[in-house]
Amino acid sequence: MGLMVATKAFFKLLTNRALSESFDDFASGKLALEAEKSKPDSAPAKPSEKPKAKSKPEPTSGRSEAISLLSALQREARFLDLVKESLDGYSDAQIGGAARDVIRDCGAVIERMFALQPLSTAQDGDSLETPAEFDPAEYRLTGNVTGDAPFKGTLAHHGWKATKCEVPKYSGSVLSSQIVAPIELEIK
Amino acid sequence: MKYIIGIDLGTTNSVLAFAELTEEKAGEVQLLSVPQMVATGTTESKTSLPSFSYIANSAEAGQGAFDLPWAEERSFAVGELARRRSADAPDRTVGASKSWLCHHTVDRRAAILPWNAPDDVAKISPVAAAQQYLQHLVDAWHDHFSDSPIADQHVVLTVPASFDPVARELTREAAIGAGLGENFVFLEEPQAALYAWLDQQGDDWRKLLKVDDSVLVCDVGGGTTDLTLIQVEEEAGELVLKRSAVGDHLLVGGDNMDLAAAHFVAEKFAANGTQLDPWQSVSLWHSCRTAKETLLTASGPKTHPISILGRGSKLIASTVSVDVDKGALSNLLLNGFFPECGINDVPQRQPMSGFQEIGLPYESDPGITRHIAAFVKQHCATNGQVTLPKYVLFNGGVFKADGFRKRMLEVISGWATNSAVESDESTATVAALAGGEDLDFAVARGACFYGLNKHAGGMRIRGGVGNSYYVGIETAGLAIPGAPRPLKALCVVPFGMEEGTDVSVESNPIGLVVGQRVSFRFFSSKTRKEDQPGQLLGRWTEEELVETDPLLATLTVDGTEETFVPVKFDSKITELGMFELWCVSSVEGEETARRWKLEFSVRDES
Repeated sequence: MGLMVATKAFFKLLTNRALSESFDDFASGKLALEAEKSKPDSAPAKPSEKPKAKSKPEPTSGRSEAISLLSALQREARFLDLVKESLDGYSDAQIGGAARDVIRDCGAVIERMFALQPLSTAQDGDSLETPAEFDPAEYRLTGNVTGDAPFKGTLAHHGWKATKCEVPKYSGSVLSSQIVAPIELEIK
Repeated sequence: MKYIIGIDLGTTNSVLAFAELTEEKAGEVQLLSVPQMVATGTTESKTSLPSFSYIANSAEAGQGAFDLPWAEERSFAVGELARRRSADAPDRTVGASKSWLCHHTVDRRAAILPWNAPDDVAKISPVAAAQQYLQHLVDAWHDHFSDSPIADQHVVLTVPASFDPVARELTREAAIGAGLGENFVFLEEPQAALYAWLDQQGDDWRKLLKVDDSVLVCDVGGGTTDLTLIQVEEEAGELVLKRSAVGDHLLVGGDNMDLAAAHFVAEKFAANGTQLDPWQSVSLWHSCRTAKETLLTASGPKTHPISILGRGSKLIASTVSVDVDKGALSNLLLNGFFPECGINDVPQRQPMSGFQEIGLPYESDPGITRHIAAFVKQHCATNGQVTLPKYVLFNGGVFKADGFRKRMLEVISGWATNSAVESDESTATVAALAGGEDLDFAVARGACFYGLNKHAGGMRIRGGVGNSYYVGIETAGLAIPGAPRPLKALCVVPFGMEEGTDVSVESNPIGLVVGQRVSFRFFSSKTRKEDQPGQLLGRWTEEELVETDPLLATLTVDGTEETFVPVKFDSKITELGMFELWCVSSVEGEETARRWKLEFSVRDES
């Protein structure tokens, strides 16, 4: 499950810059410490920073947060090594042996950065009713959808939401911003 | 002042907790999210800052590789990146610097870390390392709260209960250097853990604890173990808490356990024909750290697979796995670190191999329960009858593994059957102090809560200093060739002397030579709780009095032709909890005018 979540969240962010920024707003707006909000804009802002309408000065980001997330998943969980390797010729046991650790560590990274929570506390199979007015992003109705809301149905998936979005910040050069994992060289 | 700040400067992790002060009420205790390097060019905010420092090669530093939101052109990194590098580039990584602070055989202001590093590494001193970690927290604070300079806030900095005056002095030096301001106060870590519990319980603690109960605080960190005993007493109808004893500084902790587990699993690999290279061993250590809790749970399957992922990009092809027998591994850890033992068992002195690293004087006996037995026997006894502590408060990430807690309670409860131990039905079982599940952050949170109480006049644990202190006085007498003059120990600080008090030590005047450096040997005792200032000890055992760094002073006297000044001692425990010793002229009328402060010498003079 952890790996699936990792993959989903990652591709969501990779393909949707707007989404990743809205995550960011969400994290910095809703979850920021009170005192952080009251922090004056004019504080020790670096001249190189792009002026932003946000209340919190962002460090200069020379690369997409998606690359930073990918980099973290590789660094801490070897995610890329696993998905880039051809599975041909390995037994399920071999794959499982390697995947167990990768999935566990991916899960830890995702949890730390996004603190995912189910959208609904109901269990699979429970009966659930939507509010009269609801956010179409929050519910996906399947099957025989007719009439007006509220809709009543059986829960097939509880959904997920990120309660924060704290992807590592990049401060390196633009030249190396596409590097996801460095060459490892052991000096004897 | 707008905030109360609690800082846990840990051996392996540092944490900053804070609470806002408002007119009406004190705010909730929160943790500061600390931006730190996690890889070159990448920062992430985390609530704990690993107490490691990585010293980069000049080729690595550059192009903003080690830049932080508040620092550019850095050639070192503190925190997560450094912790990771400690595994694959140990020669460039400073770790466990806190343990070096109380290591008396090295000069702690000299650039000696990383220990045994090659010459081209720009080494730093243990004090400078502590300063770097604190500086990082201070900078992170200012990054978040640029309008509330930390020097203007009320800061509580925790130190191990077992830290001696020199280690405290060095920590203070590092803290001032990092910009904490002169007004921060020290708090002993195990006390901070108990404050965190008190904060959690609110007023309910008065229902849970009763008069004459005692609480053993067992704080097992990454590299050290700290023991403290707290007594519940009654004063004017109110329950009060009193810290009655602190244990020795024990250099054994969670890291030793992870390493022991890794050795065990490495043998399994070897039995399967896989010899692990150094990189794989480090990776295994990490796996064992992660798997420790699962491995110590009795429920579930009897075996737990441990894998070491292949290093190269061919991950699956070169991954090796082994099934570890959970029972065997948990027995190894439990019997190695929390062995069954009797109340009369004492820590074993013979050196054990496998847990040693050159440099630091690691405990020769990693059996924490044996250290606890010695501690309880020493500090919970009256007239030879031991009263077991009623509760144990566990602190430190190690105790996330329930197996350790269970074993420890079993062992201590087992002592009730010994005839030297008082036992009736009410003392028959030793229980864990309920609650207190925040094992990684309790110390910082508790320190913050203590700061709030100190500010607002809330609940305080009493105790004063956890040692009595002595200076060595060579007695006058006929010199015997080849034999040193007999040494006596003059008590200058009694056990439990409160912060913010001073005492004039009554003794015969001691003649000191003017213009020359004078040196006094310095001793402390955790067990001689009855000695009063001015008392002169003629003999003592090695366990009773522990010698640390000597105290030095140079008596400068202007415009007189004296060669000797007769002096007595004045000792003082400052509000911060620092020990100060002064030589005061004993000539009548000169007591206030002629005073010289003695300073600890941390250099290795032998």
